[in-house]
Amino acid sequence: MEDKISIALAGNPNSGKTTLFNALTGSNQYVGNWPGVTVEKKEGALKNEESVTVTDLPGIYSLSPYTLEEVVARNYLIDERPSVILNIVDGTNIERNLYLTTQLIEIGIPVVVAINMMDIVRKNGDTIDVNGLSKRLGCKVVEISALKEDGIIEAAKVAIEVAKSAKKTVKHIFSGAVEHAIAHIEEITVHNLPEDMQRWYAIKIFERDEKVLAQLGIGEETLSHIEHDIVACEKEMDDDAESIITNERYEYIASILKGVYVKKNEGKLTLSDKIDQVVTNRILALPIFAIVMFLVYFISVTTVGTWATDWANDGLFGDGFHLLWIGDGEYNENAENYANSNTVINGFIEWSESGGENLDLLKDTINTENDYFDAENAKTALQTYLFSLPINAVASYTVVDEETLQESVETATLEDLKNAINALIGYDFTEPDPASYGVWVPGVPVLVGNGLEAINCADWLSSLILDGIVAGVGAVLGFVPQILVLFLILAFLEDCGYMARIAFVLDKIFRKFGLSGKSFIPMLIGTGCGVPGIMASRTIENDKDRKMAIITTTFIPCGAKLPFIALIAGAVFGGAWWVAPLAYFTGMAAIVVSGIILKKTKLFESEYTPFVMELPAYHMPTFKNLMHTTWERGWSFIKKAGTIILLSTVIIWFLTYFGFTDTGFRMLAEDEVDKSLLAVVGGFISWIFAPLGFGTWQGAVATITGLVAKENIVGTLGVVYGVSGSAIQAISSAFSPAAGLSFLIFNLLCAPCFAAMGAIKREMNNWKWTTFAIGYQTIFAYAIALIVYQFGLLFTGAVNVVGLIVAIILTVVLLYFIIRPKFGKKEAKN
Amino acid sequence: MFEWIVQNLGTIIVATVLIAVIALIIVCRIRAKKRGESSCGCKCSECGSCTACHNKNKVDKS
Repeated sequence: MEDKISIALAGNPNSGKTTLFNALTGSNQYVGNWPGVTVEKKEGALKNEESVTVTDLPGIYSLSPYTLEEVVARNYLIDERPSVILNIVDGTNIERNLYLTTQLIEIGIPVVVAINMMDIVRKNGDTIDVNGLSKRLGCKVVEISALKEDGIIEAAKVAIEVAKSAKKTVKHIFSGAVEHAIAHIEEITVHNLPEDMQRWYAIKIFERDEKVLAQLGIGEETLSHIEHDIVACEKEMDDDAESIITNERYEYIASILKGVYVKKNEGKLTLSDKIDQVVTNRILALPIFAIVMFLVYFISVTTVGTWATDWANDGLFGDGFHLLWIGDGEYNENAENYANSNTVINGFIEWSESGGENLDLLKDTINTENDYFDAENAKTALQTYLFSLPINAVASYTVVDEETLQESVETATLEDLKNAINALIGYDFTEPDPASYGVWVPGVPVLVGNGLEAINCADWLSSLILDGIVAGVGAVLGFVPQILVLFLILAFLEDCGYMARIAFVLDKIFRKFGLSGKSFIPMLIGTGCGVPGIMASRTIENDKDRKMAIITTTFIPCGAKLPFIALIAGAVFGGAWWVAPLAYFTGMAAIVVSGIILKKTKLFESEYTPFVMELPAYHMPTFKNLMHTTWERGWSFIKKAGTIILLSTVIIWFLTYFGFTDTGFRMLAEDEVDKSLLAVVGGFISWIFAPLGFGTWQGAVATITGLVAKENIVGTLGVVYGVSGSAIQAISSAFSPAAGLSFLIFNLLCAPCFAAMGAIKREMNNWKWTTFAIGYQTIFAYAIALIVYQFGLLFTGAVNVVGLIVAIILTVVLLYFIIRPKFGKKEAKN
Repeated sequence: MFEWIVQNLGTIIVATVLIAVIALIIVCRIRAKKRGESSCGCKCSECGSCTACHNKNKVDKS
């Protein structure tokens, strides 16, 4: 039977390790967790070589015990002893990547070095003498390009050969004093261990690696003996033991690369460096970041996203659409002409009535909704009215925009009226039917409605499906195009390397408030979904900073909040371009303000933790990766609409359309929804939101159902406001601009959805902290929304004196918390 | 009874399908909850920065 071979893939983060793993194993992968920890463990059989197992180790920079990934990787290598280590080295950053290589070689397991990204190395004009490097390192070195799958099979074959020959690698020799100390340590403490492993343990003991010392259980007497050797070496080298080893490794790397690695543009700035000179510039960085994020939300919500979402909302989930827009222009032209003609006629009638004329009979005759309407009578009545007017008549009348409810004053001449009457006669007083133009595809509600009618479905069930599920889920799904555009742009910014720069740029600002730039990583991930964002706070070592990141991460609008941002922008602000970017910057400002406030309290006071991160070179993301990331996140949104949101809309429909009336508990008619169960429950709590401007049962229940999932806000508004016809129009008339802004801000900043609350509980691992986090978010959101609404009323003239006083007090309190001295500073002074 | 069923066949079919869909969603959500997945379907492994997450308390247990 053939012996099993295990290949461990080890390398720095972003060195192309996982790409290589995927290419080597294909679909033969199984994913699990490393024992006892939450780091993902990937294993797989080598393609066409079932006896060879490949293990993808976490990305690490060294075998130090400072991060979970490093500990997991080194425990695996020391305890499991794979047959061979395939060390992936990023050829474009070879000096730093070889640092790990020098440590891997010391473990005593055969090593094969695979220099990745050789295509980019060659493109840059750099050269690496692979044979020379192999001789100096004392192990096989191969060239690969994991992304293009060049040389990967050869690399695997070399690894198998080396594993079979079990050829050990030549070891790097430290300077005399260090080698002397290591030799002593080997002799005293690890001589009973297998020979291959002795050196690695001895170096770790020299570095005073606590985990290794604990693992070996070295006695006090031996420990003090070797400590004497280490201190002697430190005195001689004038440095601490760990730094001595680190410096010697880098010196060794520099020595072996001399003559082997030639960089064409040594000392010159790369394209990435040149871009960074602008993008991370001390003065320009922040404005550039603000412009980029403004464009992200502007493009996804106001331009490209809106065009697609309008089609989805009005077409796919509305009345229908013209296939490939054939006939769309002609229909729109006629529909507009018909609407304008009606406006002119109604305007003239309004103008005449304002002069004291009674035109009730005319209005009744031309009302097409009357059962007894007759086109001929209407024609005669309008022409009679036309001839009764003076030749120089100019009517002035008020026009109300159906969507935004904005009023404007317009004028029309007698000639305009004549043309309008002729136009209506031409249309035979019938509104143009879109189905009569081009190829008309009915929308989902129309198709479903027709289907239900055809099978004679009961009215209550049709209502549940059409007014509940289709209206609610459709309202959410209508925003899928905007979501996809947002995720696509964010994926592009992440993949090209710009997001890493934002963390670097924000670190400078965050540092001033005592926050770490690392807090930006949860925020960045939180733009997709708050749950992984909260989980990403684990990267923050400082416990107080980590707790603060958990509390503030969900202030950034996640993908689920985008539909209601877009809904408020469209319904309340007439599709204003600034609403979506404002939502993002409100979230960002809430994080900074909360950081300042909380950092000054005893609970969160801590020293600034330095933030070190790698800035990858800028590169053009691959189309496949962009599509994959966008689809993964977008599909998650769609799945949620088809599950959680669908269930919620069924419940909301039931609560909206059923209630207690004088005749008992029954299904309600459209004009009776004020008696619904939802109206009763909403009315019971709506007073809480009255100071914020949306103290209606609809606003209250939308906010509460948003706790199940934030998309539910749109779904709920779609159902409760859709009762009377167009939900957009109803929302537009229900929310004043100040109330709309307050509603937007409160729902952006308040407690997140239950899934995110669960993540907060898991990460805090403490009920008190979880309650504090959710309580802080909700109180903070309430205070900001109240301030915005009450000050907003100043612009409308409808000032509420009590509300304004409360808003002023809250603003003063907020400013006090922002500018007051840090906790303990006063005591220190005293 | 038979006549009533025939008259309401459309309603019965639609109601049955709807109940089945809702039951399926509930069962799937309960299973997902037991697997430790969040309701948004976003798993840690789907996150681009999953390898960056670590918890020092858990390291000591390993």
